[in-house]
Amino acid sequence: MDLLANLSLGLSVAFTFQNLLYAFVGCMVGTLIGVLPGIGPVATIAMLLPITFHLPPTAALIMLAGIYYGAAYGGSTTSILVNLPGEASSVVTCLDGYQMARQGRAGAALSISAVGSFFAGTVGTIIIVIFAEPLTRMAQKFGPADYCSLMALGLVAAVVLASGSVVKAIAMVFLGLLFGLVGTDVNTGAQRFTFDVPELSDGIDFAPIAMGLFGIAEIVVNLERHLTRSGAIKVTSLWPTREEARRAWPAILRGTAIGSILGVLPGGGPTLGAFSAYTLEKRISRTPEIFGKGAVEGVAAPEAANNAASQTSFIPMLTLGIPSNAVMALMVGAMIIQGIQPGPEVMTKKPDLFWGMIASMWVGNLMLVIINLPMIGMWVKLLTVPYRFLAPAILLFCCIGAYSLQNSTFHVMQVAAFGVLGYIFARLGCEGAPFLLGLVLGPQMEEYFRRAMLLSRGDPSVFIQRPISLGLLIATAVLLVLMALPSIKKARQEAFQEEG
Amino acid sequence: MSRLLSKDFLSGVMFIVFGLAALWFGRNLQMGTTVRMGPGYVPHMLAYIMMGLGAIIVVMALLTSTGERTEAPKWKPITMVTIGIVCFALLFERAGLLPALVALILITSLGGEEFKLTEVIANMVVLAIMCIVVFKLGLQMNISVIRGVW
Repeated sequence: MDLLANLSLGLSVAFTFQNLLYAFVGCMVGTLIGVLPGIGPVATIAMLLPITFHLPPTAALIMLAGIYYGAAYGGSTTSILVNLPGEASSVVTCLDGYQMARQGRAGAALSISAVGSFFAGTVGTIIIVIFAEPLTRMAQKFGPADYCSLMALGLVAAVVLASGSVVKAIAMVFLGLLFGLVGTDVNTGAQRFTFDVPELSDGIDFAPIAMGLFGIAEIVVNLERHLTRSGAIKVTSLWPTREEARRAWPAILRGTAIGSILGVLPGGGPTLGAFSAYTLEKRISRTPEIFGKGAVEGVAAPEAANNAASQTSFIPMLTLGIPSNAVMALMVGAMIIQGIQPGPEVMTKKPDLFWGMIASMWVGNLMLVIINLPMIGMWVKLLTVPYRFLAPAILLFCCIGAYSLQNSTFHVMQVAAFGVLGYIFARLGCEGAPFLLGLVLGPQMEEYFRRAMLLSRGDPSVFIQRPISLGLLIATAVLLVLMALPSIKKARQEAFQEEG
Repeated sequence: MSRLLSKDFLSGVMFIVFGLAALWFGRNLQMGTTVRMGPGYVPHMLAYIMMGLGAIIVVMALLTSTGERTEAPKWKPITMVTIGIVCFALLFERAGLLPALVALILITSLGGEEFKLTEVIANMVVLAIMCIVVFKLGLQMNISVIRGVW
């Protein structure tokens, strides 16, 4: 049985002392930064990227995955305790989670969210194990033209399901693709947009862009908003009552199912999962009026869904090398920095890394439950530190982190520059996520495009002559056309208004 | 006038400006042929498509009056944070971690709403100790705390 062999290989990698330690450290720092109000997983991972650079690839990815789960968990904690979601996917948790906390059930809400997340994470991991191999085998049949079309589909789908204006988001993808081309052209050695700066000849480093665009810009926006605390709530007993547990379980199951399915879609990911799960719970509930007033189901289902989705959103990234959201784009960036080109080859060429990382996901989820629930008191204390102390501290660690990448202050300058750019994006309502996706996929996409055109002797019809490529392009076109239909446009706007 | 200040209009302009910049700075890159593409082929293609999208955004912003207006930016936080990071970058290798840290914390704290000198100094002391312990002593990073002294 291949599945079991793979799984045991993965577990043997994950359960080495060293890797357990990295998973643990990742979960801890991830939670530490993630509970800071106003800082979501993307910003957290971006800011913590430098600390994983000097590790071996497997350890680095295990730690990053730990950081991701920790950050997501920290986000739920702030949503429940202070009504401040760190990211879109925990907005829904605020609705009922904060209400539960105000009724003195904060502990129950936290433990339901943790247990629900763990259950969903376990199911998500199993799904990855089952689907990774067949998908990889399929992807190995892809030629350059197919890959190019697949990336186009991935990018468009991510944009369509993301948020805001579609045209703007697509333009942001192109801007990201352009930034991705900076550096030496692989085929001819020509310098492109390097302005004779030697540091740019290898391309703009991914980490300073991510740190500036997400970390710095987010801090500035928070400083402007002048975050005020509504006072953290005391956590008493963590145990849910029997009644609460009885109502939570079915919701967790449904949330897991929805999240797992939606997570695989490009652009789907945790946010879509959480929103759909909440809507479903409200619709099938016999008492829909209690939603928004502290309904247990309203915490359990979206929390399970967003964790299941964060898990399954690794599937397209690991098997095809296509990131489906900003977090996955960061993971792809981190892999490339480690010298691993994400895609179907990873599983065949580096099985220990591939399966080890998957097993570590489950280990990370488990760690969060056993470590964080007892430590909740400490996280709550952290929530009471005023932002005027935190902001300079975070900036300082970002600067030192950026410097440590290559011991160069040029990287710190880049962080400052991309911070300004990120701020402009935020002011103009342009999403950073599509930009990041374009940036990460840019070099590869150009490579595949040029190779496809070379193989076809300059005939662009190769993209519609290969059946796989044609199918993917049709799917892309259908998505774009659907977006332009007035009825769907309206429904989509309504969905996002609820979110804001 | 308000249409010209809408988020959509301005972002459309931004895309066009970036596209023009890419064309200008990439003007010496060889285009090549469709079979053997030169280094300039894809950048040119991307720039033109992006400018086209920018133009669509601009036109749509001008035709609809419902666009969201760009909020007037508050200059203080973004300016102070940027100056702080730049100062850190300039001081870090020339003067050492401690001067860079003091400059960064002081300048970025000025960007916040509340500023109490005693608090800021306390923050500096705590962070300085933390950084020295973690980065210098713990991770053994090759950095000087004060250049020439430690």
